[in-house]
Amino acid sequence: MLCFIFISIKAVAQQKTIHGRVTIDETGQVLPGVTVSVKGTAMRSQTNEEGNYSIQAAIGQTLVFSYIGMEPLELPVGAGNELNARLKASSSGLDEVVVTALGIKREERSLGYTAQQVSASELNYNKQPNLVNALQGKVAGVTISSTGGSPGQGARIQIRGINSIDPNRDNQPLFVIDGVLMDNSTSTQGASASGRGMSNRAVDINPDDIESINILRGGAATALYGLRGANGVVVITTKSGKSGDIKIDYQGSAGFENVLRFPELQDTYTQGWQGEYDPESFWPSWGPTVEEARAIDPTHPEHLYNHVKDAFTTGTQYKNSLTFSGGTDKVTFLSSLSQLNQQGVMSPTDFKNYQARLNTTFKLSDKFNAGVNMSINNSGGYRGNAGRYIEQLIYWTPRYDVNDYLEENGTMKSYGSTDNPRYVAETNRFKDDVLRFIGAANFNYRPLDWLNLAYRVGIDTYRDNRLGTALGFQDLVGERLVSENGTDAAPGMGFVNVYNQNFRSINSTFVASADHQFSDNFSATLRLGQDLYDRYVRREATEGSNLTVYNWFSLGNAKTLIANTYLEKYRLMGLFGELSFNYKDYLYLTVTGRNDITSSLARPNNSFFYPSATLSYIFSDHWHLPDAIDNAKFRFSYARIGKDADPYSTSSGWANYTSLPTGYSGFTRPSLLGDPTLKPEFTDTWETGLSMAFFENRLSFDANYYHSVSKDQIINIPVSSTIGYVTAAINAGSMRNQGIELSVNATPVKRGDFSWDTRLNFSANRNKILSLREDLTQIEAGNEFGYLSSNVYMWLIPGQPYGDLYGRALKRYYTDDEIAAGLDQSAEIDPNRPLLIGADGFPVLDAVANKKKLGNVQPDWIGGWSNTFNYKDLSLSFLIDARVGQDRYNQLANFYSAFGMAKYTENRNDHLVFEGMLADGTPNTKEVWLGQGVDPATGVDYGDGYYRYIHRGVSEYFVEDASWVRLRSVSLSYRFPQKWIQNNFVKNASVSVTGNNLALWTNYSGFDPESTTTNSGSNVDAFAGMTYPSVRSFLFTLNVGF
Amino acid sequence: MKMKLNKIKISLVGIAVLPVMLISGCKDYFDQNENPNLVQDPPINAMLTTATQKAALNMQRFGGFTSYYAQYLANPSASGATDTYQVTDNSSEWNNAYYAMSDLKDMMVKAESIGAYQHLGVAKLLMAYQLGLVTDTWGSAPYSQAFWIDNNILTPTYDDEESLYQAAMTLINEGIGDLQRSDFTVALDETADLMHHGNAAAWIKTAYGIKARFLNKISKKPTYDPTAVLSALDSAYTSLHDESHMNVFLGINPWAQTAVSNASNLLGGWLSDNLVNHLNGTTYGLVDPRIAYITDETVNGNYVGTRNGQGNVGGANTIHDECYISQNCVLTNDTSSLVIITYPEIKFIEAEAAWRQGDQQRAYTAYLEGIKSNMDKLGVSASDRDDYLSNPTVAVGAGNLSLDLIFKEKYVVTYLNPEAWNDMRRHDYQYKDFRMPVNAYLNTFIRHVAYPADERGRNSSNVPSDGSLDTPLWWDQP
Repeated sequence: MLCFIFISIKAVAQQKTIHGRVTIDETGQVLPGVTVSVKGTAMRSQTNEEGNYSIQAAIGQTLVFSYIGMEPLELPVGAGNELNARLKASSSGLDEVVVTALGIKREERSLGYTAQQVSASELNYNKQPNLVNALQGKVAGVTISSTGGSPGQGARIQIRGINSIDPNRDNQPLFVIDGVLMDNSTSTQGASASGRGMSNRAVDINPDDIESINILRGGAATALYGLRGANGVVVITTKSGKSGDIKIDYQGSAGFENVLRFPELQDTYTQGWQGEYDPESFWPSWGPTVEEARAIDPTHPEHLYNHVKDAFTTGTQYKNSLTFSGGTDKVTFLSSLSQLNQQGVMSPTDFKNYQARLNTTFKLSDKFNAGVNMSINNSGGYRGNAGRYIEQLIYWTPRYDVNDYLEENGTMKSYGSTDNPRYVAETNRFKDDVLRFIGAANFNYRPLDWLNLAYRVGIDTYRDNRLGTALGFQDLVGERLVSENGTDAAPGMGFVNVYNQNFRSINSTFVASADHQFSDNFSATLRLGQDLYDRYVRREATEGSNLTVYNWFSLGNAKTLIANTYLEKYRLMGLFGELSFNYKDYLYLTVTGRNDITSSLARPNNSFFYPSATLSYIFSDHWHLPDAIDNAKFRFSYARIGKDADPYSTSSGWANYTSLPTGYSGFTRPSLLGDPTLKPEFTDTWETGLSMAFFENRLSFDANYYHSVSKDQIINIPVSSTIGYVTAAINAGSMRNQGIELSVNATPVKRGDFSWDTRLNFSANRNKILSLREDLTQIEAGNEFGYLSSNVYMWLIPGQPYGDLYGRALKRYYTDDEIAAGLDQSAEIDPNRPLLIGADGFPVLDAVANKKKLGNVQPDWIGGWSNTFNYKDLSLSFLIDARVGQDRYNQLANFYSAFGMAKYTENRNDHLVFEGMLADGTPNTKEVWLGQGVDPATGVDYGDGYYRYIHRGVSEYFVEDASWVRLRSVSLSYRFPQKWIQNNFVKNASVSVTGNNLALWTNYSGFDPESTTTNSGSNVDAFAGMTYPSVRSFLFTLNVGF
Repeated sequence: MKMKLNKIKISLVGIAVLPVMLISGCKDYFDQNENPNLVQDPPINAMLTTATQKAALNMQRFGGFTSYYAQYLANPSASGATDTYQVTDNSSEWNNAYYAMSDLKDMMVKAESIGAYQHLGVAKLLMAYQLGLVTDTWGSAPYSQAFWIDNNILTPTYDDEESLYQAAMTLINEGIGDLQRSDFTVALDETADLMHHGNAAAWIKTAYGIKARFLNKISKKPTYDPTAVLSALDSAYTSLHDESHMNVFLGINPWAQTAVSNASNLLGGWLSDNLVNHLNGTTYGLVDPRIAYITDETVNGNYVGTRNGQGNVGGANTIHDECYISQNCVLTNDTSSLVIITYPEIKFIEAEAAWRQGDQQRAYTAYLEGIKSNMDKLGVSASDRDDYLSNPTVAVGAGNLSLDLIFKEKYVVTYLNPEAWNDMRRHDYQYKDFRMPVNAYLNTFIRHVAYPADERGRNSSNVPSDGSLDTPLWWDQP
């Protein structure tokens, strides 16, 4: 621990007392807290609440007035004793204040690392209720994906690509709100919950309460947050009141939404198998044409139903919020209330959120101020199992109306052995109900003018109650058993599952800052601090199945009860220091060091140190550059960050064996093989950047390059069941990410009442898995089923980028010599080779074991372009974003092929000659029929047919290019002119119309390539098949200020 | 100024000391390495409960797909993957078998360390049994490098089939030895032992039965020793009362569950026409009275099976005009037990071994006793039973007894047991009127199953190629 006490006294002749008042030039408001110093000395003073100061100085000296966010002002001391100063707000972006790590306000100019700020107006103009979605397309280097279009659906945020090899490890950044570390996890507690698009917890925050969000990207930006900030930090600052009159703001919005796009389905062939119609058939679309069916069955409809479209409806959204703010010089407050109610496009999914907030600030004295921010909210709704719904829609034949799902006695109406998806969605429900409180108190004490002590303490606690219910079996005559509405042991007999999660985290941060001016040109700041994070999670589950009374969802009504509990404690403490030097306000050097102690690793590996250094050089202030250039800054930084394991990754023992009824007890191996020798992983990041502004800020850009390498990654890899575990925790391997980020802001037109602002974000990340543990040739991150063993696997392979997709391919032609040399066993498909055609005239499926690389899940680049046009009281904004180069496995398309529903299967009665080579090297000339059964033209029996024997088993056809460009939102708003609002009651009013997710340009054939079948907490985004369809929404908003 | 300086000194010193105090005072605060959700020392009898339930459930899981190859069951949809010998993914059955074997490995370690020799014997026997299930289905499989605790290998290599066979035999022999010890420290608990309710002598008989099965399995090999088989059988079951019964389920017996679901249109458990025609007189010209006790009549008052690969014929598949697994059968009702080896099967092993040895009389006696005890188990009336047993096509006389007859009758007593597929392969599917499934993906009968997708994903460098699924396994070849 270092203690600095500098006192330097210079003998000065004829000192007199100078006094005066400092005000803001534009408004005349007084400015307290302005630093007044005598240039060339260490003499300093500050203005009080009235803006008055007094200081000792001599004639000929210069007083310097400086305040964060304002241009510094120098005034000479003359004969008089009064010197008033009028400070102007700084026009250069570099003097802007940015809230960085730990709530420390830094000037943009001094930052050697990348941070990008999003203001409240930028965040909220497209009215997204989930604040993570609200950031889409607005920040370079940040990839945000909505996992689907359901109300409250989780959204995943990732900064600078994947930096963790473990597919289940959270790669998401740390969320900090008003200094409190805020939980943004996605809990998948509950049977079937992982397929229900559960929310990420950031959904609890009302985006309208946010003043600004600062995204800290690189290692150095987050070195002061420690290992929890290793994936980046999203620093959220909520609004605070301002002294003055009480202001009241009301915002109300109403809107509707529909599914954005549906995959194309065939409408020619109806229910049946091998061209034979059967109204009870399991097969939805392998029957004859509609006319042929109608000849047999007059009740067959004239046209097939478009049952996938019919299964979705129009959703609605209503939101009301009210904000009160005001205060005096000593106390300010901001209070807000809001209510959100959203109904999804898939009945009966919905989401409600009631939020209340109270932010207060207190100025107890010149030296001491404090603040308390509290928010409480209740959110939740009915969550749909979209994957299952869409899968069941595949099994449903378009010959029947899927919306006709109830018999007279209220049980399921269906045909054959098929379940009606609408019935299942209505009767098999899952609801969550979260009550959350986030509170933070902060204290700032400035005992001396060079020493500042800040302390923040906060609590984030919530309870998440979930209820899963399914109607049981009434045993009525003809009642169909819906196996979904039950358990494996008692299918269709109903269940009532009660889950509860209690989460409580407390964190406290203490920072002492001391700054010192060594000379005119050179000053330094030292910060030392300690922070503590303590998290406690308790989960309970009681699952009751086999209900006696079919619709009484009480645990006492269940014949079988299974209960379990889960407990988790996690603690983390960090000690850190930051030393920054300022040379002439154009050269800044900051050095940090931090030591973390974690509870998730075993001693001695649980305590580790990591440093960082950043340099910021504003060379426009050093050299004389052409006038057009307002400022130019060069940045360079290096940072190392450590990362620990998930709690209990070092543990071993035995778990409860849960397949036994009451009266018996057993133990079995747990799923995870723990490792007590786990070490922390470290990531080293180098970063450099350039930012410049031109033409009085009409044009500016920020370009950045980064290179980061993570070593000794801690991963829970899925392991072979032959070792007796499902996953194992290991330090395995290293990964490298490098890339560029570019943002450009411009105001191309500013003439009179019209202006056009544009902002462009672009980033490209290149990832490579450098190595895995010696005995591992690959790690399976995830896999999804495909017919005929055409499962698609997401494998992490050394030397390749994260997320290669492998699956079953068609055989290509190789000469006998090439086969002898083993060339056909390579993992890559040679696109120049023709297909191998068998003697039967059909392409040949390659062996299941011989999987080929079919694509990669990472994009080549992502970008966003937003534009705002202002004309008098009208404002029009639109945002386009794009993600290009990634591939996804479309399981939906695989099933559509297997069940004859895809549009292209309309060629099933055609004959064709497959292009390719026979094994002997001659080109194929054999014409074949694509249908099932006996070909009427030739009499040849084709059995189950091409689509069933071959096409549905070719993963190649279903791993698709998922690049997309999207018109993310368009918003038009109109502020009512003052002369319309003549009364004293209403101060301002505006209306706006917003459209979100309006247009999607992509070659992907599924619902939406951005969605995913995994939840928002997962890193596996390879599968975009049976997802909750994304929605196009329109919202009308009225804003009134009183 | 001095006061101020002192104040500063105090506050700075305070800042310096605080975190140091925090660290030194709370060393345990960061020590969270014991997972509160796991136990460190589970009681051996609780491990026994898990072991016995898992072994029985795994038998049923394996029977759930082998019964399609043995044509006890058929898929109600045409071209079902298992029915038609397609490449299927049986990851679930493989995983369940290995998780069970890993638990048994832990149980063996614990039993050895505390001297619970009865538990050690049970664990070794069940380990051999489930290793057998795996190797009979897939062939070579991990074992010597598996289970983690001996060797810490994440990707075990595959042992060849013969070594797996030897390993299983060793386990059974050692297990029998352990069960016979009297110096055990903990007895098998009556409630916790879900198969034999604490009766070590019964376990020994089961072990000999399993041993006989293993010895009989290599009937094609030159090393086959019928004397050894018979000698093991002498210490195995002597009546139906000796069988093991596992009937502790979270819900109901899994076969019964299939029947329940089928009755409410979640189709499954449809009987193959191979079994139904065997019993209803079509194939052999004699109605086997057991048919009424295995399944129920159709709505048309007859017994009809479904041809494998063909799927439902006749009316809609909601019309019950074919036979299914029945809740009225003693083997497949809600509270039925799962039995890993039955007394009738033991008799048939005896019949076969004795026949191969040349002891026709012993073979014939065992053969008749096997049929009789199976009929008694199923609840066939004494007169129907005796009528069948005295029918000349059944009671052919010791001199006319053939292997075909033995396998024909054994087929009925091994209903739904995975061992049936082993027998079928050993007899090269030479059952009267046994047909290839409709639209089969192979040209001849299936002999093994493709390795599971999970293994290919997680242990790919060690998984051997599947070869053609009609290539016989090691024991299935001379």
